Amino acid sequence: MESLFINIGNLCREKVVELTEVLNLPEAFAGYFMVLIYAIAILTFVLLNAIVLVYLERKIAAYLQQRLGPNRVGPRGILQSLADVVKLLGKEDIIPRAADKWIFRLAAVLVIVPTVMVYAVIPFGKDMIAVDLNIGIFYFIAISSTATIALLMAGWGSNNKYSLLGSMRVVAQMVSYEIPLVFSMLGVIMIAGSLQMSDIVAAQKDMWFIVFQPVAFLIFIIAATAELNRGPFDLPEGEQEIIAGPFTEYSGMRYALFFTAEYANLISTSAIAATLFLGGPSGPWLPSWMWFLIKVYAMILFFMWIRWTIPRIRIDHLMKLNWKFLVPLSLVNIFVTGVALKLFSGW
Amino acid sequence: MVFKRKTEDEVLQTERYQINLGPQHPSTHGVYQAILTLDGETVIDVENVIGYLHRGIEKLAEDRTYTQIIPYTDRLDYIAAMLNNLGYVQTVEKLLDIEIPERAEYLRVIMAELQRIASHMVFIGSFAIDIASITGWMYNFRDREKILDLLEMTCGSRITTSYMRIGGVAEDIPADFIPILERVLRELPEGLEEYDELLTGNEILIGRTKGVGVIDIDTALDYGIGGPNLRACGLPFDLRKVRPYGIYDRFDFEVPTGENGDSFDRFKIRLDEIRQSIRIIEQAIDNIPEGSVKSKVPRNIKPNAGEVYHQIEGARGILGYYLVSDGSTKPYRLHIHSPSLMSLGVFPEMTKGELIQDAVVNLASIDIVLGEIDR
Amino acid sequence: MYGYGLLKGLRVTLGNFFGRAVTEQYPERRPFISPRFHGFFQLDLKKCNGCGVCSLSCPNGAIQVTSERDENKKRFVTGYKISLGYCLFCGLCVEACPRDALRFTQEFELSSYRREDFVCDLLEIEKREKICSREPA
Repeated sequence: MESLFINIGNLCREKVVELTEVLNLPEAFAGYFMVLIYAIAILTFVLLNAIVLVYLERKIAAYLQQRLGPNRVGPRGILQSLADVVKLLGKEDIIPRAADKWIFRLAAVLVIVPTVMVYAVIPFGKDMIAVDLNIGIFYFIAISSTATIALLMAGWGSNNKYSLLGSMRVVAQMVSYEIPLVFSMLGVIMIAGSLQMSDIVAAQKDMWFIVFQPVAFLIFIIAATAELNRGPFDLPEGEQEIIAGPFTEYSGMRYALFFTAEYANLISTSAIAATLFLGGPSGPWLPSWMWFLIKVYAMILFFMWIRWTIPRIRIDHLMKLNWKFLVPLSLVNIFVTGVALKLFSGW
Repeated sequence: MVFKRKTEDEVLQTERYQINLGPQHPSTHGVYQAILTLDGETVIDVENVIGYLHRGIEKLAEDRTYTQIIPYTDRLDYIAAMLNNLGYVQTVEKLLDIEIPERAEYLRVIMAELQRIASHMVFIGSFAIDIASITGWMYNFRDREKILDLLEMTCGSRITTSYMRIGGVAEDIPADFIPILERVLRELPEGLEEYDELLTGNEILIGRTKGVGVIDIDTALDYGIGGPNLRACGLPFDLRKVRPYGIYDRFDFEVPTGENGDSFDRFKIRLDEIRQSIRIIEQAIDNIPEGSVKSKVPRNIKPNAGEVYHQIEGARGILGYYLVSDGSTKPYRLHIHSPSLMSLGVFPEMTKGELIQDAVVNLASIDIVLGEIDR
Repeated sequence: MYGYGLLKGLRVTLGNFFGRAVTEQYPERRPFISPRFHGFFQLDLKKCNGCGVCSLSCPNGAIQVTSERDENKKRFVTGYKISLGYCLFCGLCVEACPRDALRFTQEFELSSYRREDFVCDLLEIEKREKICSREPA
């Protein structure tokens, strides 16, 4: 069980090497093919999980509100997401006449690209990182922050006032909250002494970093919720004020792409939280990838619980919370971590 | 170097733009349109556009007999139909100058207060959903359901009750009504506790509503708003207390007031009023006499020519009916003074200069029902 | 402390997460409809003499009653059409009936696809049901 996926990967590699030999291709091609296989595997993981999460979110929301939630399609409604996908596929693809057509189209594609790219550095299990970069965390931060541009494009391209207002909120919010998010990660990185994901996981062999860095974890959770545009920080979509924010004009599969990207972001951020603070894929008895999934889903459930309980924050309070509370607190946290490291590691 | 403050022309000027809040919008509580002029996120100007739900009920009433108007009053403020019924039938009774049986008076009080609780619960729920706490909305509707079941038990309908009749009420309550009502009254405070924990104490809610959409007493009086919105400004003006109608002078209850007249006070005062309404119902259950529920009123009601104005404390404020009779079986003119229309008038004033998110909260906090505004 | 209110809210929702659903499970479980519910109409043919008071009392004029007189000058109902599209379900007709011939049933699934279907002939329905039911008439 433990090395199930690794074995599958190795099998693929063997076959690919054989194939390149048979076809008489240069050796480098084997590497390219493997990248393709990894990409497909990750995409499958992301899409499958997104479908599960749509159903899960609705069920969780329903249970929190003493309802049953989807229960029509399939037993207990588990096929609801599939029905939704079919419905979205069948919908007319509407592009408003006044929209900037290329930006409008491009935004829906661009939003999914960085979202999938960050999965390259996520440790799904022991030795199960697609690319174990030595700057893994840095890569995650850099790539995930580019998603802002896609959302701004969506808002601008729609040529709709609600969309523009929403996308402006996206930019303001995501750029601001990037700072405490990164600062909260710094504490972990300082203890682990590395930006590489596998090193960070290995450093938590004895004790999870949530124990050493509870404040950083709190900041990370708050900033991550804001980065995900979820929960109390769903201003960009703020249904009550601006209909659906940047997504107002999107329909059909284009809308589904945004939706998928949102859930894919939720998974990747939960995965990062699990890796940085909850020991990543390590754990007793069960295979490592199973531990990873358990931790990720625990984080996701927590995010959902928050989303369906807490009302939306106001935009000026959002900025105040960031600049007057989270950023100073994360700086203090870095300082304290540094001092503590110096004290305990001895000189 | 002396730091010089930039004048208004030197500061970066952004283009002002208008967005439509409604008539189809997730948070307009019906078909209502507000044209907001925005500078970024700040609301500069608000223009109310009403009339999308106009059905001409006042005109329709001129072609109906006095009894036949009762079902139409259900459709004014469709969240508090019982109170509309009450206001209307009391107006006609005032015109006819008839007495109604004791038991009917008590039943009216019980029903009216139940309806007030149900209406305030819709308010709390829709307020919660407008600050995006959707779960709070569900909990309110769960508890409102119990009250609607009671109404259905008595008058056969959940929303459009048509329960009050000229000279009494339509039917006596069923035998198992009082025990179920007592159980519901015991359960309601638990629900209120839950809303308090989920919403009232919530820091984000407090942050979003405290000091937002402030109306002072003078402005409130200038605009003629009444009810909970006025009491939230600090004026203990409750028609049940100051000009008791029916048998309200027999009940012991308090008039909760707010302090600042902001959205939070308007939210909190409704929670308090639910508690007071529970008190009134409890007293009514203790004192309700036996007897008939409808006095002898001729089938064809023909009041003498004349006019009458009567007002009651509706769920949203002062609900008034002005009735002119020309001596025939149909009223010459019926005018409805709807509290929501008064409240909506102050909406632009309280929202100017605040954020678009506050505009939504303000609109929710004055608790408008479009059926009543457009009539 | 800032944030305590949020935690209390989280506790409330978590508590309800493990509770039971309170919503109506409509098609699977039929809802309880109180006996006084204003649903569909039922006309007692034995009692109704077609006087038309119900029609007069209706605020919207949704009821059309036609009647004839037999050889004994006794009036009997020949047609009773009620237009549900105009009906307010206020119950004034039921209340007005001097012989208690008209009453409400608990049937609430009254939607139909066509506008014409909203005009219901209560007489027809009564006759049809009498044939269908096994009880002796």
